[in-house]
Amino acid sequence: MFANYVPVIVDGLVDAALIFFVAVGLTLVFSVARVLNVAHGSFYALGAYLSVVIGMWLTGHGWIVASLAALLLSPILIAVALGPLIERTLLRWTYGRPEALQILVTFGLFLVLEDMQKLIFGVEPYSQDTAVQLFGVSHISGIVYPNYQLLLIVLAIMVGIGLRLMLRQTRIGKLIAAVVADQEMAQTIGIDVSRIFVLAFTLGVLLAALGGALASPMIGVAPGLGAEAIVLAFAVAAIGGLGQIEGAALAAILVGLTRASAIYWAPEFQPVVPYLVMVAVLLVRPYGLFGSVGLRRI
Amino acid sequence: MKCLSSIIAALLLAVIGAPATAQTSKPAEVDLGIFTFTSGPGAAYGVPGRNAADVVIGQINASGGIGGVPVKPIYVDEGQGTNAVVAEFRKLASDSNNQAMIAALSSANCLALAPVAEQLQMPTFMWNCDTHQLFLKDKYKYVYRTNSSTVPEFVADALYLLAVKPNVKTVAIIDPDYAFGRDAGLIFKQTLKALKPDIEVVAELYPKLGSPSFNTEISRLVAAKPDVIFSNFWGADLENFARQAAPRELFTSSQVILALGESVLQSVGNLLPDGVIIGVIGDGWWKSSTAQANPQTKAFIEDYRKRFNEYPVFPSFKMANTIYAVKAVYDKALATNKGRWPTRDELVAAAKGIKVDTLTGTLALREDNDGLVDQIVGVTEKSSSYPFPIMGNMVRYPANLVTPPVGTDPIAWISKLTPTMLANAPKPGSYK
Repeated sequence: MFANYVPVIVDGLVDAALIFFVAVGLTLVFSVARVLNVAHGSFYALGAYLSVVIGMWLTGHGWIVASLAALLLSPILIAVALGPLIERTLLRWTYGRPEALQILVTFGLFLVLEDMQKLIFGVEPYSQDTAVQLFGVSHISGIVYPNYQLLLIVLAIMVGIGLRLMLRQTRIGKLIAAVVADQEMAQTIGIDVSRIFVLAFTLGVLLAALGGALASPMIGVAPGLGAEAIVLAFAVAAIGGLGQIEGAALAAILVGLTRASAIYWAPEFQPVVPYLVMVAVLLVRPYGLFGSVGLRRI
Repeated sequence: MKCLSSIIAALLLAVIGAPATAQTSKPAEVDLGIFTFTSGPGAAYGVPGRNAADVVIGQINASGGIGGVPVKPIYVDEGQGTNAVVAEFRKLASDSNNQAMIAALSSANCLALAPVAEQLQMPTFMWNCDTHQLFLKDKYKYVYRTNSSTVPEFVADALYLLAVKPNVKTVAIIDPDYAFGRDAGLIFKQTLKALKPDIEVVAELYPKLGSPSFNTEISRLVAAKPDVIFSNFWGADLENFARQAAPRELFTSSQVILALGESVLQSVGNLLPDGVIIGVIGDGWWKSSTAQANPQTKAFIEDYRKRFNEYPVFPSFKMANTIYAVKAVYDKALATNKGRWPTRDELVAAAKGIKVDTLTGTLALREDNDGLVDQIVGVTEKSSSYPFPIMGNMVRYPANLVTPPVGTDPIAWISKLTPTMLANAPKPGSYK
């Protein structure tokens, strides 16, 4: 009997892993800069595009195994190129301003980045599944799964734990936590808050781009990818509680599992399931599963 | 003063009152609005259509154009959404040189454009509007479908399936979630129900059009263990589905039918194993004996391959055949007018009942403006000559066999089909 549920759990966890990368970046940026970044999904899409293009180039030149490096290289390139640039020039200007203005500015940025994608990568879909082929397949409850999908679950867990350890155990993590707890006090004791903002935003970009890059071997990459990612990431961040890493992880699992369950047992509801879960959670806990009034923690 | 007022009134009438349809002198060029997807997930299907239009219009212009007038295509990207597509249609309809429109690819856009075409009295030739809903409720004077509808296309798939797998018991369906996908699911199910009532549908999935991933749906399909999986995915959805399903052995665990499968044979390559049932929703298979026996078709294929480094797929032929049909309509109207350039009304009158020899067979426009086109279905077969599978074990179902007669409700017609139809239909392997 339980064997019937195993594929649902596996599919749900794979889905959750991919959602987690985007949602946790979004929630990290919100907790530090208090900005709900609508353009966050564009970094996911850019990560996917760049990873596919670099991967195709490497595969085309016979460096098939090396094409795996594109999955890690492309998010780093995007984070380094866009993170500091956008934070310093655009996002900084919105700090402390009304939330409506922040949303409008980041929505404008989203539109610019979407058009940039079309200019750079064109409008036709891409696919590059070398990683899926290289890692082979496993049979779980009679269903064939690419090992690459299972690897994603492990990677998401590693990133979640790594992020938590980084914030708790490293000097930079403690500085970020201090800024999240009380920005003015942090500034008073000599923490370069401006630098922390750049670091946190760049880390958020890196996580979103990493999500896109890691998803790219399993999906078709085409215009519109970023919009889909951000809508889901917002729902997950709201369910978990804005600014909560553990909340994002739990919410991603919840959304992933309910989406997979819907596809198995009630496919008509699959598109609305994440939002039904969000409404249900917010009705009971208006600040999300891990959120609380007036408390800023990370 | 009175004379001056009359002159002004006449001038105003001439400027304001002249409708866009008044073009009767021979224009310097024939503008042709062509609607297709050139961006987004639909581009994988729409771009081969646009490429074909470029080749065919080049060939037509090289041989003197239409009635001695060169043709100028004006492409509209359907990827910008239905509202923008309708706005573009209205804009192009106001161009007096644009006497005919070729629109559209998406069934949703077709359903939105048909009443607009009627309102603007714009002759419109639907090159890829497959939904049977197009002519289901409304009668149009200015709208023609220059290809087949969903009914013959998916009835043909069901006939083929029952011919090669007569003992099939369970079926699963995965189609895109909009008119074309839902219609296909209904038609395929109804046909099977009529011809083999004991077949059970064990899963029906309609993921969002343009989904980047179908991985969970693929797990669901494998878990359902159906004998047959039917899909009418197209464009990037079809390519993504094939790429994601192949490593998960979906094509070997069940008999898969990809109703529009031929369009991705070259891009997906040998990821597809032998034996997957594939269709061309029409007769546009570039290696068919009919296509290869026609020198004009061979020239088209060669030009296309040289320009785009690939062979034309069936959407290319749908577009090419439509443009040749529009040319035939112009030629007929010019002949009727004894050389005088036709109005839009004269063009639609010429289209009524026309029968055109196309690159891949024939197209007949019926009295209800619907098109009659044969249906080719086959299976994937590895080829020693090409780095991608080709179609084998083919059958060519005559249009009249699989198309509901004029004036009948298509779904009611399907429900009255009997196994005799299967017995009388040509057999797989009968068409080379």
